Amino acid sequence: MGYLLWGIFGVNMNVWLDAFVRLQVVVIVMTVTVMGLIYLERKFVGRLQMRLGPMRTGPYGTLQSIADALKLLTKEDVRPSTADFWLFELAPYVCFVPVFMTLLALPFMEGWFVRDLQLGLFYIVAISGVTVIGYLMAGWASDNKYALLGAVRSAAQLISYEIPLILGVLAVSMIAGSLNLNDIIRQQDTVPNIVLQPFPFLILLIAMLAELSRRPFDIPIGESELVGGPWVEYSGIRWSIIYALTEYAGLWGFSILGTLIFLGGWEWPFGTRAFWGDFDFVYQLVLVFSKSFMVILIMMWISASFPRLRIDQLMNFAWKILLPFGFLQVIVNGIVLTYKPSEELRDVLLFLTSSALLLTMAYVIYLATRQPSREERVGAMLAARSAQ
Amino acid sequence: MIGVLRSLTATMATMMRKPVTIEYPTRHRKVPERDRAFPILLWDFDVDEPFCTGCHACERACPVECMTVTMKDNPLYAEGKSKRRKIIDEFYIDYGRCMRCNICVEVCNFDAIAMNNTWTGHELSSVDRKDLVMDLDQLMVLSKDKQIRPWVPQ
Repeated sequence: MGYLLWGIFGVNMNVWLDAFVRLQVVVIVMTVTVMGLIYLERKFVGRLQMRLGPMRTGPYGTLQSIADALKLLTKEDVRPSTADFWLFELAPYVCFVPVFMTLLALPFMEGWFVRDLQLGLFYIVAISGVTVIGYLMAGWASDNKYALLGAVRSAAQLISYEIPLILGVLAVSMIAGSLNLNDIIRQQDTVPNIVLQPFPFLILLIAMLAELSRRPFDIPIGESELVGGPWVEYSGIRWSIIYALTEYAGLWGFSILGTLIFLGGWEWPFGTRAFWGDFDFVYQLVLVFSKSFMVILIMMWISASFPRLRIDQLMNFAWKILLPFGFLQVIVNGIVLTYKPSEELRDVLLFLTSSALLLTMAYVIYLATRQPSREERVGAMLAARSAQ
Repeated sequence: MIGVLRSLTATMATMMRKPVTIEYPTRHRKVPERDRAFPILLWDFDVDEPFCTGCHACERACPVECMTVTMKDNPLYAEGKSKRRKIIDEFYIDYGRCMRCNICVEVCNFDAIAMNNTWTGHELSSVDRKDLVMDLDQLMVLSKDKQIRPWVPQ
């Protein structure tokens, strides 16, 4: 695509102009994808619940997102009279801009990115943490108790889950020996990282759900108790920026990130240059997008399956399960990579240790959440009675 | 842990099933035979006249007094084509008033009135209340077009 753009303009493009054009491409693709994702989620969750989802607007409801967008854009933009003007008006942008900035460092195919950053992975996890400031701004400025509660909860949640997310990503970058996304993808030409590191992938998946405040982790926005959390007072275009753009662009961006660093991006399973010479970007694009949509569908499936967690369950899970096991994974990776017996054994060892950690974590969660059986409860009761 | 996997498989299993939603205004679920919408009159195809003789039994039995019935001499009886001496002249039912109790159907001596068991008996919203007062032709049209499967309680 990079060389295609060069070809279209026929001249050596100015660096700024080049960046601008790439930025525009990202904006357009993001908007279209967000609309598609909203439709996909409504359809997919509908099918999971034996419903049809949107069916009226357009054939099979395909124009539903456009109708929604038109409705939201033309709605009145209401602001409470007691709201803090600047914070209230700017909060949606503070939420959205970091999400958009993460997209700028993502390579969507071989040699196509807005900017290739040497510390790309670091940049992405760092910048995506800024979103929480937008949540806090919105919650504080709304002058609404529900909004403030939601904002505080989202601050607690987002900061807690940032750490497991970083640990999961770190485990991968240790193997690649680089924070550059292109390097990480290039190194996955035979075996994708999900095989070597199944446990960090799970951490990333869970942390992604929590970072995006999706359903099992939607404590900050919980409709039934906080009526929408930080976004109670928002309406019209500002609400659509928060809800549609931030949430779904974030979903898309995170799933692309997961695809690139865990599922091999465009590199696995065909290699970078496989079929059609200059037109290889077609299958690269298809690979990256289809993989990321698989991740998105899995996340939607998880979202539709589980009830909302309690805040203490959420915190316990982050600090007592994900965090120690994430650190353990990083340490084990360090030991394996430093004292590897040979290059061939390295992959096997990484796979074995990571899956062992995964199983251990599953067992720990099983022990922690297990309900004692009826016999055990009766036995304990009888034992207590006889001890008296 | 096992519960997590079980809930995931539960949602996946429901996804494999067919959606139960019916897109209502364009598609209708089948109405059961004994469905009780508003009362309508039935048409006697053997002699080409209504079954109803205008005997006022239903009008007297109606708890909400939504019916108005008048009777006349049957011209076909004079010609010898029909055995009914009297026949219905005018019949009005105010659907806005009717409470669909089925009493008129039960008291009818001639099985001339039945409850509408098609969707036409349910989708009757109108802007003006007066539009809900049905005259003889409107009450008869379903039976004349053979759109109704009359179900009269024995």
